[in-house]
Amino acid sequence: MFKDKKQTVMSNTSNNQTIIAQGVRVEGDFRSQGDVVIDGEVAGSVETQSSLRVGETAKIHADVKAANAVIAGEVQGNIFVQETLELLSTSNVKGDIVASVISVAAGAQLNGRISMDQTTASSGSKTTKGNEEEEV
Amino acid sequence: MYCYLYDEFIQENKRFERELLKIENRLTDLGIAGKVSRLALFRNAQEMIRDEISRGVSTVVVLGNDETIRKVIDVVADSDAVLGIIPIGPNNELAHMMGIPEGLEACEVLSARRVEKLDIGIVNGRRFLTKLSMPHFHAEMTCEDTFRVTAIARQANLEIRNLASLSDPRDGRFEAVITAAVKNGWGFFGRTSLKESIFPLTSMAIRSDKPISLFVDGEEMISTRFDIGIEPLVLKVITGKERVF
Repeated sequence: MFKDKKQTVMSNTSNNQTIIAQGVRVEGDFRSQGDVVIDGEVAGSVETQSSLRVGETAKIHADVKAANAVIAGEVQGNIFVQETLELLSTSNVKGDIVASVISVAAGAQLNGRISMDQTTASSGSKTTKGNEEEEV
Repeated sequence: MYCYLYDEFIQENKRFERELLKIENRLTDLGIAGKVSRLALFRNAQEMIRDEISRGVSTVVVLGNDETIRKVIDVVADSDAVLGIIPIGPNNELAHMMGIPEGLEACEVLSARRVEKLDIGIVNGRRFLTKLSMPHFHAEMTCEDTFRVTAIARQANLEIRNLASLSDPRDGRFEAVITAAVKNGWGFFGRTSLKESIFPLTSMAIRSDKPISLFVDGEEMISTRFDIGIEPLVLKVITGKERVF
């Protein structure tokens, strides 16, 4: 179907890795036990017990939950990370963040509250949502 | 007890006569010779194997190619029997993935008896071992009953892999791989590249308003609805050291 001038991005799935690449849209409650790489579009919610990597081309309209996360693309929704969250210079986040360790690169767009409270972190994004409702 | 199933094309083609003789001698030397059953035009392979298994056969060895293996997979997976393969002739991709060399050398692999349990995929009640493919994928895919996946690129292919070079057929999952052609940049300077999305899953459904084609191990199925699942570790197969998984 495709000619040889085009490049193929080959990936190894041996560690139960999920890849949502460009050209694909996911809607609904996406849950995974393994690493997740997102370069495409996601709407709903994303949850992984491992690492999450959001690429520059990604557009996420969802609440995100992960053990570790590196974000370089667009996220509209609350982010809950158990350990380390890294926002790269190309990232654009609209939503509240809960993380134990956070790194924000120069140039990153961030609109929302950041909480690094471990007790808040353990109760997850539900707490964050609760705070949001109080504000409204 | 071993049972050897000779495919029709091997018996008809004199090219294989000498090789078969060598194989039979080698199997006798190794002490794993057994009953020989021959496939023929009006003989049902599945019935033959079922009868042999009921008579106490514990290892069914197929002499033939991928097509021959597909004829017996259903019966062997439903029993406690182990599947062995001696690849002969063309189209032996399955044997290659299982690390079994062609012809006489396969006898040594059989004798070593390294048994692996493999998952088998199932689509609309039909079993498949390697993969399903859907060229021009524009239907909606519902995965694990929790999320939906659609291709937003103009050109996309879907492959569902159980036994393939990057998939482990022992993990209780299959991989749904969507290859989408994505154009980056504008007009003349735009470059198209293929992007692979990979979803490790245990169940999924494909729905479409119009009938769509799905190729199951190379054979075409047409429907508006495909339900795909996996039966974990149901097929016992003798594999070689060079297997791809």
